[in-house]
Amino acid sequence: MGTDPRTELGSASAALPRTPGQATPRKKRRDWAGLVYQAPSLIVLGCVVLFPLVYSVDLSFRSYSLVIPGRTGQYIGLENYQRMFRDADFGQALLTTLVFIVFAVSLETVLGVAAGMLLDRLRRMKRLVTSILLLPMIIAPLVVGLVFNFALNAQFGYLTWVLHALGLPGGDGALNYGPTALLALILVDVWEWAPFMTLMVAAGLSALPKEPFEAASVDGAGPWQTFRMLTLPMLRPVLAVAILFRATEAIREFDKVYVLTGGGPGSWTTVNDLYQYRVSFAEWDMSYGAALGLVTFAAVLFLAISAFRMLAPKEL
Amino acid sequence: MSRRWKRILIGVVATLVIVLYISPLVWLVLASFKNRVDLFTPTPTFIFSPTLDNYVQAFVTKGFTRNLVNSLIVSVFASAIALVVGVPSAYSLTRRSGKLLSAYLLGLLAARLLPAMVLVLPLFILATRLGLSGTYVAVVAAHLTFAIPFTVWMMRGFFMGVPKSLDEAARIDGCSEFQAFFKVVLPLTKNGLVATAIFLVINSWNEFLFGLILTSRDTATMPVALPTLLTPIGTFWGQIAAVATVTVLPVAVFAFVVQKHIVAGMTGGAIAGE
Repeated sequence: MGTDPRTELGSASAALPRTPGQATPRKKRRDWAGLVYQAPSLIVLGCVVLFPLVYSVDLSFRSYSLVIPGRTGQYIGLENYQRMFRDADFGQALLTTLVFIVFAVSLETVLGVAAGMLLDRLRRMKRLVTSILLLPMIIAPLVVGLVFNFALNAQFGYLTWVLHALGLPGGDGALNYGPTALLALILVDVWEWAPFMTLMVAAGLSALPKEPFEAASVDGAGPWQTFRMLTLPMLRPVLAVAILFRATEAIREFDKVYVLTGGGPGSWTTVNDLYQYRVSFAEWDMSYGAALGLVTFAAVLFLAISAFRMLAPKEL
Repeated sequence: MSRRWKRILIGVVATLVIVLYISPLVWLVLASFKNRVDLFTPTPTFIFSPTLDNYVQAFVTKGFTRNLVNSLIVSVFASAIALVVGVPSAYSLTRRSGKLLSAYLLGLLAARLLPAMVLVLPLFILATRLGLSGTYVAVVAAHLTFAIPFTVWMMRGFFMGVPKSLDEAARIDGCSEFQAFFKVVLPLTKNGLVATAIFLVINSWNEFLFGLILTSRDTATMPVALPTLLTPIGTFWGQIAAVATVTVLPVAVFAFVVQKHIVAGMTGGAIAGE
């Protein structure tokens, strides 16, 4: 062992800082400094996230409302949680959310992969196109909802006029009928977030090695074969992260629905967060609202953990 | 030659698709300069005599200037606090290790997944009990719940790009722990700081739910005040378009001027932009 100069050098330098007298105070000082770095964020997050969350957990076992008289926080055990199973409106909201997420995120993924491959091929226009693609997703979601509320207005919306001229459904006001309103909500989300998938795919593509593609073209692989056998598998980690990000965001959809349809017509577009908003801030049933919220958070966490394990095992 | 034509054709098709794609926003900006007659036509009008009436109505008569100032106050304070609190935490997380710190990191990730709807309820009750409901303090505190975890995760990526040997070299040259951080490491992550700051401001600027529940008439931000123009007696679409245009404009400028930073923030720093 001693004959290998690298090992000797390595062990010598490793032994250097271990001077007994110096190690302890310096380590202590470092730990103290570590606390100084972490303390502010710990204190602030403790006050604004952890404490409210614990408060919410406690609230979910009580009967509480700031507004309704007589509901001062009596302890009622699991009643709020049991109530969810009997709550048909909650079930309906969950179903609507599921339909919204599945259709919106899959459409975004398919369009994003296609557009991402096109964006990757652009040269001079790439910068400009990227900037324009950023717009839908970085402007306020509330404005996105308002823009389409206006564009799809039954009397004077310009998209209504286009739909009418093309003889498509929604030509007489897409937001006034349940199925077309839900479809509109899904498509507005696709408009907002397909660019995100596009950028993720384009970034992923530009990081891929060139050799496998050259080898494939030498071997006479067609474009579809190259896409199925090479591009798609190599994009998998990027797509996994992007889909996971989108899905966990879509579960909390609120701003756009609030101004686009307000949950209607009927309860056709009442997604989970809008339902919770009504329970807590329209019916003022705050302890039940807390329980609904905590169950949603648990579902988001479960989805995030299991999806990440399933889609990208190497990343963990 | 045919190859060149193909490129030109691709360019033309791409331009057409992009223009169609972004048409809702173009329509919004056009609508903000239209008078009532041009606004409410069954067939879309492209040629009209522009007017500033909507802007004057909204910002002078209806007091949306106040909301603009509120938005500015809330986003600047929330972003500044998040940076001051989050950046040292992010740095420390890349320079030290241990079970507690990895648990904290996972906790921050979980906090990023926490729906605003879950937090807004206890925050509203607590703010009401403390007499803080409707104040800037309440809404800034609420914005910190997403701003700090975002700052730590984003800046962590940038600090990981600075080799530890640099801090150690600075220490050997006689810098204290904090001097090494402030004078050596922090300046090297300038790009990361700018990207993070821009993203923090945009996120606060656009935020709706916390503002809706926690602000009052006097402290309402732009996104919160906008839907008040959708009234049961009639919707002031021209003014909505004007206020929405002003809300969107600063963010849109960022998309063109500091595109690379935005892409980096959007992809969570997971993939280097470019």
